[in-house]
Amino acid sequence: ALQLLLVGVKEAEDRERLSGGRSWQRLRMESLDANFPVRHRKVSLETKGNKTEIVICSYEDHILVIATQIGAMGTILHARKEEGMSVEPTFSVSVIFGKRDEPMMIATARRLIDHISSYVPSKTLVLSLGLKDHSSETLKEIVAAVIENRLW
Amino acid sequence: METEYDQVLHSVAQVKIADQTGVNQDEDGVKVSCFTEVLDDVTLHFQIIRLAKQIYVWIGYNSAKFGNLYAAASTRPSNTVSVATVLGGTSDNTGSGIAHRLVMKTGLNIIMACNIPKNNPLLEAKAEKMLMRKLIDLGYTMPTPLRAT
Repeated sequence: ALQLLLVGVKEAEDRERLSGGRSWQRLRMESLDANFPVRHRKVSLETKGNKTEIVICSYEDHILVIATQIGAMGTILHARKEEGMSVEPTFSVSVIFGKRDEPMMIATARRLIDHISSYVPSKTLVLSLGLKDHSSETLKEIVAAVIENRLW
Repeated sequence: METEYDQVLHSVAQVKIADQTGVNQDEDGVKVSCFTEVLDDVTLHFQIIRLAKQIYVWIGYNSAKFGNLYAAASTRPSNTVSVATVLGGTSDNTGSGIAHRLVMKTGLNIIMACNIPKNNPLLEAKAEKMLMRKLIDLGYTMPTPLRAT
């Protein structure tokens, strides 16, 4: 049976660099079903008045990240590290479903695959962003929350 | 004479969706359900993530590989179902049929990842039936599903 463990509520922190001394808090829940081959984590955070639900799942060959404010998966991006001989890694990032005119979303996927590939180079990222607010502050918060709660 | 495949399809068609008293739309956030079923010598893993307006499903055949990704939804005005392959599956579109029939039976907007190998219609049908049953048990199905063919 699934056991849900509440892994602590982070205290609200002041972020002076963001306007108005706005604070955010996160709630993290993790599934501890040891027999299920796919691990997942859920994070809930509040940015700019929007509640963002994040789910991170780790498959054998992929990492799935869903970040939604609209109750749907929204735009889906695909990102992976290219095989190459050069010292600098190259990445292939593309939108495979949804909005293709938001460069910040591509940048978000790029940032995450960069992080993922430094730990598990063979995994591909499938990132779903169903957001009302595509501002860079929100996306940075989402990236921070995903990296902090990562499963790689 | 009915083959086993026909029998399974027949029983899939008979899985009735009782009138659900409207699903609680005030979501308690996102809900993740995972379960595993063992069939003969095959292990099927299922993961269902319920978002407010969409459901993500993953079906794993013996492994935790992601597989092909499909998006399926009903299209207005004629209430037919459209399926798009989002990742993978050019010549192998195993799983797109499952996505298609899930939307038809349940009226939900579905994103499905599936790594069931091709040329295995019996396995697909069994996986579909298990998934359908679970979606109904969890109360995720719409009260008035689209008409099945």
